[in-house]
Amino acid sequence: MSAITKKRDWPTVLAAAWLIGLTILAFTADYLPFIRGYAESSPEGIGFSKGPFTSFLLGSDQLGRDVFARCIYGAQISLRIALFSIIIGTVVGGTLGMVAGFFGKASDRAISAFTDVMLAFPPIVIAILVTGRFDALRKNSEAFSWLSRTWSITFVLSILAIAPLARIVRAQTLSISQREFVLAARSLGARNGRVLVREILPNLVPAMVSVIFTGVAVLLIAEGGLAFLGYSIELPTPTWGRLIAENRNFIREAWWGTIMPCVMLFATVLSFNVLGDRIARRFDIREAAL
Amino acid sequence: MSDFLEVTDVFTHFETPRGQVRAVDGVTFTLERGKTLGIVGESGSGKTILSRTIMGLLPTRGTVRGGTIRYKGEEIQGRAPSEMRDIWGKQMAMIFQDPMSSLNPLMKIGMQIAEPLIHNLDMPKDQALATAKRLLDDVRIPESVKRLNQYPHELSGGMRQRVMIAIALACGPNLLLADEPTTALDVTVQAQILDLLREQRQDRNMSMILVTHDLGVVAGHTDEIAVMYGGKIVEKAPTDGLFKNMLMPYTAALLESIPKMNRPSHTRLTTIPGRPPDLVSPPAGCRFAPRCPAAQERCHSEEPPLSSAGSPGHVYACWYPVGSPVYREAIERRAKETV
Amino acid sequence: MAGTGKAHLRSGDALLRVEDLVVEFPVGRTGLKVNAVSGISFDVMRGETLGIVGESGCGKSTTGRGIMQLPSPNSGAVVFNGQDLSQLTGSDMREARTKIQMIFQDPISSLNPRRKVRDIVKEPLDIWKRGTSAEQDARVDKVLEDVGIDPQRAAESQPHQFSGGQCQRISIARSLVLDPSLIICDEPVSALDVSVQAQVLNLLEDLKAAYGLTMIFIAHDLAVVKNISDRVAVMYLGKLCEVATSDDLYRRPAHHYTKVLLDSIPVPDPSRPVAHGRIEGEPPSPVLPPTGCRFHTRCPAASDRCRNEEPQMRDVGDNHFVACHHPAWGGDAPVSITR
Repeated sequence: MSAITKKRDWPTVLAAAWLIGLTILAFTADYLPFIRGYAESSPEGIGFSKGPFTSFLLGSDQLGRDVFARCIYGAQISLRIALFSIIIGTVVGGTLGMVAGFFGKASDRAISAFTDVMLAFPPIVIAILVTGRFDALRKNSEAFSWLSRTWSITFVLSILAIAPLARIVRAQTLSISQREFVLAARSLGARNGRVLVREILPNLVPAMVSVIFTGVAVLLIAEGGLAFLGYSIELPTPTWGRLIAENRNFIREAWWGTIMPCVMLFATVLSFNVLGDRIARRFDIREAAL
Repeated sequence: MSDFLEVTDVFTHFETPRGQVRAVDGVTFTLERGKTLGIVGESGSGKTILSRTIMGLLPTRGTVRGGTIRYKGEEIQGRAPSEMRDIWGKQMAMIFQDPMSSLNPLMKIGMQIAEPLIHNLDMPKDQALATAKRLLDDVRIPESVKRLNQYPHELSGGMRQRVMIAIALACGPNLLLADEPTTALDVTVQAQILDLLREQRQDRNMSMILVTHDLGVVAGHTDEIAVMYGGKIVEKAPTDGLFKNMLMPYTAALLESIPKMNRPSHTRLTTIPGRPPDLVSPPAGCRFAPRCPAAQERCHSEEPPLSSAGSPGHVYACWYPVGSPVYREAIERRAKETV
Repeated sequence: MAGTGKAHLRSGDALLRVEDLVVEFPVGRTGLKVNAVSGISFDVMRGETLGIVGESGCGKSTTGRGIMQLPSPNSGAVVFNGQDLSQLTGSDMREARTKIQMIFQDPISSLNPRRKVRDIVKEPLDIWKRGTSAEQDARVDKVLEDVGIDPQRAAESQPHQFSGGQCQRISIARSLVLDPSLIICDEPVSALDVSVQAQVLNLLEDLKAAYGLTMIFIAHDLAVVKNISDRVAVMYLGKLCEVATSDDLYRRPAHHYTKVLLDSIPVPDPSRPVAHGRIEGEPPSPVLPPTGCRFHTRCPAASDRCRNEEPQMRDVGDNHFVACHHPAWGGDAPVSITR
């Protein structure tokens, strides 16, 4: 295996570097003077649009705000939403998938019907229903005051993630349960829970990891789409989707306001896909060595 | 001598991350028209790679090939697939172990047989289908007219292998390469398929190379046997001669390790200790030496060449063959030690 | 041939007694069912090895899994150590299963690819919390050494770092670690090379003696089954055909199917003429099995009686039992008046 990795895999290195760099910037943005101060107001006044590589790295928008700084803040929100929703999606979808695939029968029929319905539901309808409902809850009840728009969007996206994840995990579980080592474990007297956790789960990981990486990429785009349609978090906090949406009217005068967040989104999605692909291949080598 | 198929010093090595795998490492044999050669070996012996090398079916990337393969006097080693197309089907055909994955699941049986006829022999479609029906009769598939319109999944494993044979025979090849053709089948069906292959070979005056791990299969169905170990032929002889007088200790050990029907139950089996050699860095000297019961110092350093056994056509690669004084002494000493 | 009938069951100290075992699987949602095992009975004495042979689809593997109640049979009793397993549920069932262990055909698929080999072998002790950690380690080391695997290497490596034969040894170690009394081997050597197969067969014989095991050995290879078994049961399409001691069955098969099976085996001896006890065709579908004797569609001796009346298992002398109206020897079955 060492012979394979000898040649440096530049796409992977770049993808990892991009994601790590972006994450660090995004989550330390509040402490970095060159980002923090510039996101909301500009030292050079309102109303100008400066191009990239002037006094602003990626130019400024109509209100004179630094596009780079806003992109980094956008990354903070976008990444958080995507990551949280994929985690919720994986836990819920993965559990449903494992239950359906392992126990079969009625549980399988119920869960499969549920995922079928979920997949057929237009995402925008879910977004309207959930954000509206959650906004109302937050306003009316003290107990739900934590339920910010960030959480609403996260829930919407995680609902979108559940069904595909549940399907993939169900199919994988089904095929792994038929392997003889699972039968062997049961013949040794292992309980169902133990079989699921010890025998099946570790073998689900490779497929899950690559799906999760691709899933994050898809959710980032979905977040952008929802924001573009107006379903985003409270103003004025930026997300990538909102940045693209709010600057697109000025694309003739200040193209960087729209294009730069697009480039960021593109690079991030690509990086997640590249990494997911490589990780899946890493696991595959172990399987191929059988 | 024969100029039907001459394989001389052929090697096939594969580039892998671990280094070069010497899957076939200097193999030489000839095959006459109408004869059957059995190639016997365990997994990793190079028998399947050898048959694919002859057929020209290996990927060119990462493969190092050498030696000459002359078919009817023409060099075919190293030909591009476009040049091999004249040979595949019409001159040489191959059948594989798994009949299900070698058939197209979405195409009717009739068309799968007719296809090579239409493409290779420019036969009109209706004539090709009529020929397909005749081929199905030849391979003893009942109700051949009905079968033409069936799909592979509607047939049993044995029937599918018969269809594969019909496809292989369609363009009238002179050489049939059968790679473990019966390994996936039940014994009763295996016997039927082997009989069928023999009968078709005789009717069509074909030559056949039968690749298998089963000494029992080659015993009744070949004229000559080549035993492969670690990418090399270690013994080759006419079938009767080989079973009467096995000279290479590996051949003898292989036969000994098979449970026999005519021995009482709970007979202790003779085993070959250890594992087949790693073909990335094969042992120096004789490749069987690390597992050989009679290996001497010379065996570990010097590679034995294929030498003649006296009887015509019988060659073996061993310094101290079965029956030689050194071999006998080594075996006796070993027997004493274990007691 | 009908497995119905229990003339071949013995009185005495049977470790396992299976009566009228039936296993059926639904075919999708068509309402049809696969009659995998249709009412077979047999017993295994303490310390005995029972071989079960038959072609693919005859229900021999399903029988093995039916004994383990994985999945539970549709009907029939599986009395193990005086306890009917089919009546047990929950933790009683799990507890009982530890006394019966299985070894599977595919040595690689039967080991979890993502765990260390030593942990795989230790798993059973961990499930049942047997002994202290030190005792568990000692037990695992001993069993690993008994099957010829280096415990140190097992602690560091995953299954794919071992060869097929070694993986099968690891499976055997896992099955022995709980000290079972019955081992069900389901085609344990058919995925292995001939030279390795002999090693594993010898190992099984040694372990059987060392651990005081009783064994059920399921395989399609008659020579292998004969070598390892004391008593052999021949299955066809979910029914038993013939039960006899290993040597007797091979010396004088009474059932026509057994005869065909024996004649189909390729013998590694070219001087033996190729047998002509061939049968045409392949086994019918277990979804719609033939009436009467299930073998009558391919049997050379089939009569009208065979088409209508299911033969019962009966004694033809010397502990040799056959379910056939017109066996090769032992006389026709008496005509039954009932039905």
